[in-house]
Parts: sequence; C-alpha cells; structure tokens
Amino acid sequence: MAPHAEVENRLPIASSEEAELVTRLRAGDERAFEGLVETYHGTMLAVARTYVKSRAVAEEVVQDAWVGVLKGLDRFEGRSSLKTWILRIVVNTAMTRGGREARSVPFSSLVAEDEDPAVAVERFRGPDGGFPGHWAGYPSDWRSLPEQALVGRETLDVVKRAIEELPVAQKTVITLRDIQGCDAEEVCAALEVSDGNQRVLLHRARSHVRAALERHFDA
Amino acid sequence: MPESAEHITCQEVVELVTAYLETVLPADEAGLFEQHLNFCDGCIWYVEQMRATVATVGRISEDDVPPETREKLLTAFREWKRS
Repeated sequence: MAPHAEVENRLPIASSEEAELVTRLRAGDERAFEGLVETYHGTMLAVARTYVKSRAVAEEVVQDAWVGVLKGLDRFEGRSSLKTWILRIVVNTAMTRGGREARSVPFSSLVAEDEDPAVAVERFRGPDGGFPGHWAGYPSDWRSLPEQALVGRETLDVVKRAIEELPVAQKTVITLRDIQGCDAEEVCAALEVSDGNQRVLLHRARSHVRAALERHFDA
Repeated sequence: MPESAEHITCQEVVELVTAYLETVLPADEAGLFEQHLNFCDGCIWYVEQMRATVATVGRISEDDVPPETREKLLTAFREWKRS
C-alpha cells in the first residue's frame, strides 16, 4: 500500500465548469446568477451564523458578502474553487463587521482543547479485569432498527437539537461537511483551519450526534 | 502483554473512526483498525452507527432561498451589471 498521502496544502482550484459560469456571470447572465444563489446561499448562511450571534445579522452578512462577490468577480482568477473563494468572502465580511454582534476571534482559536472522549469511559472495561479498553457492553446494531427509525421526523429533531448544542466550531464543521456537502479541503480553506483540526472538530461533532441518537434509540 | 503495538482496543476504535471513514488513516493504522473489526461485532456496529449518523445528519434539508432575498440579490446583480 502506498504511504499515507499528505493533502494538507492542496487547495481545490476552479474547474472548467466554474470558469464558464464566471464568464456568464461577468456577461450579466441573470440565470447564472440565480443558479449561483441557489447553490451557495445556504452554505454562506451556515458559515455566517457561526461568526455572528443572530440569524438576522447573519442574513445581512450574507447579503453584504454577495455584493462583495459581485464586486470581486472581475478579479476572480480561479486559483481557488469558486465555492472556496465565495466562502472566504463570507468569513471576511463577518469578521470585519465589528460591533458587539461580531465574534471577532479567528476560527482556529475556537478549536477547544477539551478532551471529552467520543464514548464515555464507563462504557469500556477498566484496567483491572480482562480485555481493558474493550466494550463492557456492546453498542446496539442499528441495522436491526425498523426501517423508519432513522428517517423519521422525531429522529431528525433529535439530530437538529444535538447539532444546536455543539460549540460553534464543531457546529460549523458538521454543518458544512454533512449538511451542505462541502469536502474537507473546502472547509479548511474557508475557515482557515488545518486538515487535522477540521477532522478533530468533525469527529467530536459526529460523536456527539451519534450519542444523542443512541440515547434516543435505546430509550 | 497482548495490548501492545499489534492491536488496538475498542476505546481506540471509537476515536479513530472519523479518520478511518475519511480514509486518512496511515496504512498501518488502517490495517490494525480493520483487523479489529474482524473479531469485534461491537465495533462493527459502532462504525455502522457512525455511518448512519452521517447519513441522518445529511437528511436535514437546507433552507430554500426566500423569494424576497432572491429578489433583493437579483436587484443587486442588475445594478452591478449597469455599473
């Protein structure tokens, strides 16, 4: 097997479809702009909401960011993907907004050093008996749940609540990765976090949501 | 001691699972991870739970762009076009 490939500093560059889209936008194609808004508005809002406290202000930030996108369009050179470039504009708009609404700290400083394990230590055998570090009792097999269990409204509400409870950095990463469908590189570039930190945040966030689902199913 | 470098515990599996699912574990650790799954149903189910969690989070729908926002942005686009 090949040695572990290091992807740390590789940023996605604009694709040919994106280059074509930018050309249409520069030519004033309204359809192209509407498509762009449909594609990115939700992701932009998710990013903005992690930098400012209220949804209303986040919406203003995103509208300002769209103006920034339009102003910058002529200078876009495709050295990053269009998505990454747009998300950077959102972050910068949110950060420069100032005033008491802004959470004026760099995102990377929000990677807290809490050492909460993904699963509580009591769930594993201690050092004294046999098999230390192995399950004291197995987690349940969710494949045996009724088909509707994972897709029902009640389950989705559990997931939404669990995400709401997360510290802001974890909430942002899980929202971008698992709801908005961004890939790891895009999240790192947009939020200026390292690949390792992005993964730690994603891991903690997913582990927290899993635990909430487990409590829900085992109840 | 059996728990030396040559195997990993369930407690380690639950911390490595995200790196495993992201396929960024170094080859030797990925090997130990899969070796563990070969004999541990609990961890197979745990990994499945994490996959199911990711899939369920993915079912949360994104909000549609409200019509008034779309109109406002289109107006901004038209102004930008004229300038």
